[in-house]
Amino acid sequence: MNWQDVWTLYRRELRSAFRERTIVVNSILMPVFLYPVMMWVMFTGLMFVSGLADRAHSRVVLLDAPRNHPVLMDTLENRENVELRDQITAESAVSLIRNGELDALVEFAPPGAEGDELADNFQVAISYDRAVERSRRASDRIEAIVDNYREEWVDSEAAELGIAGADREQFRIVQENVSSDEQMGALLLGTMIPLFLVLMVALGCFIPAIDSTAGERERSTWETLMTVSASRLSVVTAKYLYVATVGIIAGVLNVTAVFLSLGAIMAPLLAEAGDQFQFTLPFLALPVMIVAAISLALFFAAAMMILASFAQSFKDGQAMAMPVYWLALLPFVLGQQTDRTLTPVIAAIPVANAAMMIRDAINGVFLWPLIAETLVVLLVMVALCLMLARMVLQFEDLLMGSFDGSFWRFAKERLLNRNGKKTAGAKQGVV
Amino acid sequence: MENAMVRVEGLQKSFWDESRGEVHAVDGIDFDCRPGEVFGLLGANGAGKTTTLRMLATILKPTGGRASLNGHDVLAEPEAVRRSLGFFSASTALYPRLTGRETLEFFARINQYPPDRVAERVESLIDRFGIAEYANARVEKLSSGMKQKISIARTIAHDPPILIFDEPTVGLDVMAAIEMQRVVGELRDEGKTVIFSTHIMSEAEKLCDRIGIIHRGRILALGTLDEHRQATGQHYLEDIFVHYVAATGAGGGAAAAIGAPGPGESGQ
Repeated sequence: MNWQDVWTLYRRELRSAFRERTIVVNSILMPVFLYPVMMWVMFTGLMFVSGLADRAHSRVVLLDAPRNHPVLMDTLENRENVELRDQITAESAVSLIRNGELDALVEFAPPGAEGDELADNFQVAISYDRAVERSRRASDRIEAIVDNYREEWVDSEAAELGIAGADREQFRIVQENVSSDEQMGALLLGTMIPLFLVLMVALGCFIPAIDSTAGERERSTWETLMTVSASRLSVVTAKYLYVATVGIIAGVLNVTAVFLSLGAIMAPLLAEAGDQFQFTLPFLALPVMIVAAISLALFFAAAMMILASFAQSFKDGQAMAMPVYWLALLPFVLGQQTDRTLTPVIAAIPVANAAMMIRDAINGVFLWPLIAETLVVLLVMVALCLMLARMVLQFEDLLMGSFDGSFWRFAKERLLNRNGKKTAGAKQGVV
Repeated sequence: MENAMVRVEGLQKSFWDESRGEVHAVDGIDFDCRPGEVFGLLGANGAGKTTTLRMLATILKPTGGRASLNGHDVLAEPEAVRRSLGFFSASTALYPRLTGRETLEFFARINQYPPDRVAERVESLIDRFGIAEYANARVEKLSSGMKQKISIARTIAHDPPILIFDEPTVGLDVMAAIEMQRVVGELRDEGKTVIFSTHIMSEAEKLCDRIGIIHRGRILALGTLDEHRQATGQHYLEDIFVHYVAATGAGGGAAAAIGAPGPGESGQ
């Protein structure tokens, strides 16, 4: 292999790629803008929806309201976001709740046997539709109003009986978040960055992998390339490095954009909502993330190029390379368990291991033997893909694009030769 | 032929096809080409012209026989063969997102033209083909005539001694086809070895110094136009072609009867 040729071919690939709108949009603009903007839109939207829900009236029917608790009744009647409806039977009310015409039914009843020592005591049953957000919210509102009232009422009753609040209260639960703002920031970064990085590296590789294989065939430039004096190995190496480069660029740009936007957009929004986050990264997290991005890009590039090289057109290439893209979603399966760190088993699962390794690094956890295992697993996958690519390129009809079928058909007929079809003449070797 | 730039001996290409079984696309052909000569391969569609030329260009690997270009064997030294060769066909398109200038520079470099002389070479090609006006425009924005000029220029960007044109005028309008024929003539005058495949008889008559008639993967006859006329008694190449093809249909031994060359012979 001639590295000067590889460099010339590589520059040609990159130059063409960055003039192609689809590649620029998918590999540069989307990583930089899409996810930060999406996060901002989502968060703002959630706040907006939450605000709307807060302002929405809860339509409530009260049954058998206790007459000896006028303060509670006044509170319910005068609460801005509670609308008391005319009394109807419990069955009718439940029917209206199911139809969405009513949000909650509040039934007051005398206390059970254990509670009747206290005069005017009562119990409350709230019926609502848990499947409807507005109904759930109505239930929560009524419960909060009744709870508050009950606390005040019990306090006043206890005072009348000469019992001090401290004597009456047996224990109290007090919660305190001991996480620092930095740790809260790391939690959020560790949840988002690994997922985005993996997805973006895969997305970054996706279009170039198809463009450099099926795209060449569709444009009829493949045969032109086959006539240049560079070796086939140089041609394939240049293409592979180009696809991986774009994947790495997409990943790094996205992580940078997400990191900056979390600080500049999300932190102020979260602060408004009462949560304090500070976004910083441990110094060693950066090289770990870069190594992870490179390893992932090498893997995605090789796997996608193998599959896409069977396609005759860009559209076919997209369909054929898509299974590898789905692999990028694997970390989402583990993404929900934020307290988990890299284990020997997770380190053996390609793609998911890289995501977990990045999360650990963001949280300042560096399990070096497991990081090494992760990288070895990913590089073994890359080596397997390259070996497979080498085998595939031995077949002339595939190299020239005259093989009509997908990788799976090829594997069945040529690599495993299961159906015993004659394939003599197909394997001509790379000239 | 002692000074042959291209030597083809018993070249074969067979492959397995699901519907047709074992296919002999090229079935043992022989010919030589010398510098300053336009050698024509004349045959109908599917005769084996493109497969033959692709083997010479090392795009396909022969399953039998041998071929060498500029002294380099197509199997043993494929990169050296491609360095000595410019290949042009209807399926060798240009990169749409490169400019004409970038295209020429890329093909000169990747085909090992001396790096310090690439810029000079590119400028001379731009002058020669009159493409200065749109040399900095992306290929995708150009008309088919403009693209054709750049395509020819990229074929000779590294100044190879051998050029292969595989049906280069297919799909071109009259003016573009004439321009192509003019360039091929010029290249011959510069001493290049040109192999030109076509199924257009008038084109072969006009351009080729020697013509090989190829049919079903075999060369039926090879010689100058006059030699073909003498051998068949026909004047027009179209009639000559029909004569040879009809002779093969008449029964075995047709190739021998019309004087097809043996391995290593030119047929003259």
